[in-house]
Amino acid sequence: MMDLTQPQWVRHTVLHPFEGFEDLRWKKGGTLKYTAVIIAALFLALIANDRWCGFQFRPLPDALFSVVPYLMRSVVYFLAWVVGNWAVCTLLDGEGTMKNICIYSSYALIPYIVSTFINVILSHILVQEEGVFFAAVYYIGLIWSGLLLFSAVKAVHQYSITKTAAAVLLTFFAMLVILFLAVLFLSLFQKVYVFFYSLYTEILYRIRV
Amino acid sequence: MKLNMLRRRTAAFLLTFAAAASVLTLTASADEPYEVYNYNRLGEAVPSQAGYLAERAVSGIDLGAGDLNSPQDFCRGADDCFYIADTGNSRIVKTDGELTKVLHIYSSFTMPDGSRTTLKNPKGIFVAPDTGNLYIADTDNSRALVCDTDGNVLLEITKPDSPVYDQGLTFLPQKILCDGAGNIYTVLSSTTKGAAMFAPDGTFLGYYGANAVARTAKVIADHFWNIIASDEGRKHSNRAAPTAFDNFDIDSEKGFIFTSTSSGTTDTDIVKKVNPEGYNLFSYLSGHKWGDLFSTWYSGTSYKTRIVDLDIGEDGSINCLDQTTGRVFQYDKEANLLFILGGTGDQVGTFSSGGSVTAVETRGKACEQICVLDAGKGSITVFSQTGFGETVHTATDLYNRGYYEEALEPWQSVLRQDGNYRRASLGISSAYYNMGRYKDAMEYAKRADASWVYNKAFARYRSEWLRNNMNKLLVTAVLLLTARLAWKRYRKRKGGAPA
Repeated sequence: MMDLTQPQWVRHTVLHPFEGFEDLRWKKGGTLKYTAVIIAALFLALIANDRWCGFQFRPLPDALFSVVPYLMRSVVYFLAWVVGNWAVCTLLDGEGTMKNICIYSSYALIPYIVSTFINVILSHILVQEEGVFFAAVYYIGLIWSGLLLFSAVKAVHQYSITKTAAAVLLTFFAMLVILFLAVLFLSLFQKVYVFFYSLYTEILYRIRV
Repeated sequence: MKLNMLRRRTAAFLLTFAAAASVLTLTASADEPYEVYNYNRLGEAVPSQAGYLAERAVSGIDLGAGDLNSPQDFCRGADDCFYIADTGNSRIVKTDGELTKVLHIYSSFTMPDGSRTTLKNPKGIFVAPDTGNLYIADTDNSRALVCDTDGNVLLEITKPDSPVYDQGLTFLPQKILCDGAGNIYTVLSSTTKGAAMFAPDGTFLGYYGANAVARTAKVIADHFWNIIASDEGRKHSNRAAPTAFDNFDIDSEKGFIFTSTSSGTTDTDIVKKVNPEGYNLFSYLSGHKWGDLFSTWYSGTSYKTRIVDLDIGEDGSINCLDQTTGRVFQYDKEANLLFILGGTGDQVGTFSSGGSVTAVETRGKACEQICVLDAGKGSITVFSQTGFGETVHTATDLYNRGYYEEALEPWQSVLRQDGNYRRASLGISSAYYNMGRYKDAMEYAKRADASWVYNKAFARYRSEWLRNNMNKLLVTAVLLLTARLAWKRYRKRKGGAPA
C-alpha cells in the first residue's frame, strides 16, 4: 500500500491537499533534491512571468531588468519561511525537522509555479481585454498552493487546524524579523567593511609619504 | 604577387581611414553650443538629432534702433512684422519679418482728443491678426492701449470701477491679447483669479481662465478642517489660492487661449489650453510634466523649469520657453514633446543663466523659425528648422490629422536619422496597422515599447490568423481525438489497465 516512487509522491501530495502530506509523512517520502529543483523552477517562473510573457502583458521595460528581486522573491523568501517556521514550531512542540519543512513546503509551491507557467503561455494567446482568464489561473494556483502549504505545515508538525493557523501567522512574523535582521546585518557589515577599507588606504598613504 | 597584396592592403587601409575621417569631420561640423537631447520612454534624457539650429542673434543696433533695454515681449503680426516691446526704453519697435531692419519706432501715440501720450515700461504687446491693431500693456502707466498701426490710440483701458474689481488692487497689465471677437484679455500681477477680460468697447467683463488650486496635503487638510469647523472658525481659516498664470498666447485660428505659469513651487496647470468658456482642455494631462522632467540640484539650489512664455505656431505646435535653462520645448498640439533647443552659455543659440529670456515667437507655416527674445542681452536669437526638424513636423502633422499611411514615409526617414525617436516607431506602427500589416505593426510597437499599441495590433493579427487557420485547427483537433479514442480501444483490447 502506498509504495510510490518520488515523482509519484509529488503527484500524490499536489493532487490530495487534505491527506497527501500525511501519507508522505507516514511513508517517509520526499527528497531534498526535488526541493532544489522546485525552487529553481519558482525562480524561473517568476522571471518568465515578467520576461517571456507576450508583449501585450509586459510589465516592465527590458532596460529595467535585474535578477536580484527575483532571487529575493524565490530563494530568500523560501529560506526565510523554512527557518522561521522551524524556529516557531520548535517552540510550539512541532514534530517537523528542518529537512521535512523544506521538502513539504516546496512541494506545496508546485501549483503556483505551474499556474505561472500556464499564464506565460496564455499571455501569448490572449489580449489585454481577456486578462480575466489570466487572473483566474493565477488565483487558482495561488489558493491551491496556499491550501497545500497549510496542509503541509499541519502534517509536518502534526498540529490541529487552529494551531496550524497560529503557527503560519507566527511564521510570517518570524520571516519579517529575519529579513529585518538580515538587512540590518548587511548594512552593518558594509559599514565595517568601509571602515577597514579606509583604514587600509590610510595606512597605505602613510607608508608612501 | 606579394607586392600586389601589399598594395591592395594599403589601399584598403587608406579607404577605411578616409571613411573614418569623413565621419569624424561630419560629427564635428554638426556641433551645437549645447547638448541636443530628448526624452525616451523611461523619461531618460538621451542624445538626439537637432530639430533646430541657431542661425543668428540680432541686437537693436543690428536693426538700427539703438540698444534694446530689457525688452519683455514681442509679437509677430499677420503682416509678418515683429513688434518688440522695448520695455526699458518705453517704446515699441517694429521690424520686418527677417529681422534685418527697423520699419518704425512708436515712442509716442496720439490720443483720440489729439494730445500725445508716451508709454512707461510696457511689458506686453499683441497684434490682432485680423485688424493689425496693436494691443499694448502699458504697465507702469496702469493702463492698456489699443491703437492702430499709425499710432492713433483707439481705446484706453484703465482700472475698472466695477464692483467685481477689488478697488484695493493695483491695475498693472503685464501681458495682453485679444480674441477673434475683439475681447481684450490682460494678465495682471495683482490677482490669482485669472486674466482681466474686457469687451471690445473697454467695459470690464470679469476674470478668465484661473488656474486650479494644487492639491497639496495642506489644502486637503484645510478642506477637511473646514467641514467640521464652526462658522466663526471658517472665517479665519486659510483660503486656498491658486498660483496665477503670468503669460498667455492665443491660437487665433481655433480661438483657444494657452496660458503658462512660471511659478517654481507648483506643478499644477503649468500650461493650460482654455476654451472660450474658461474650461481647461488640458486638464486630462494633469500628470504631464512640461519642460524638463527633472529639476537639477546644484550646490543647494534647485533649477526647475519655469515657463515664462509660450507661442502657438501656425501648425498648432506649443512652444514653451524655459527661463531657468534658456531652452525652448516644442510640443505638437497633442502636447507630445518634439524638440528641445537652446541652453545656457554665451554663444549664439544659448542665453545667460539666471533667467534673462522673456519671450518666444514662431514664424512660418510649419514653425520654420523660432525666435527667442533675451532681455539681458537685448537681442533676438533666430533658430531655423533643420532637415530633420522638417521631416518630423511633416510626419507629426500628417499623423495628428489621421493620415497614418501618408505619414509612414516621413516617419521611416525620421527613424533612419534618429533611432531613439520613439514617436517615429509609434507612427510607423499605426501606419502598418491601418494598412493591415499587423505583424509589422507589432514589431514597431515593440520597438516603441508601447504594449497597448502592440495589444491592438496583436488582437487583429490573432483573429486574422484564426480565420486563415481555422480549418487546420479543426482537422488537427479531430485527428487528435480519434487517435486518443483508438489508443484507448487498443489498450482495452490488449487487457492492460488504463494508466
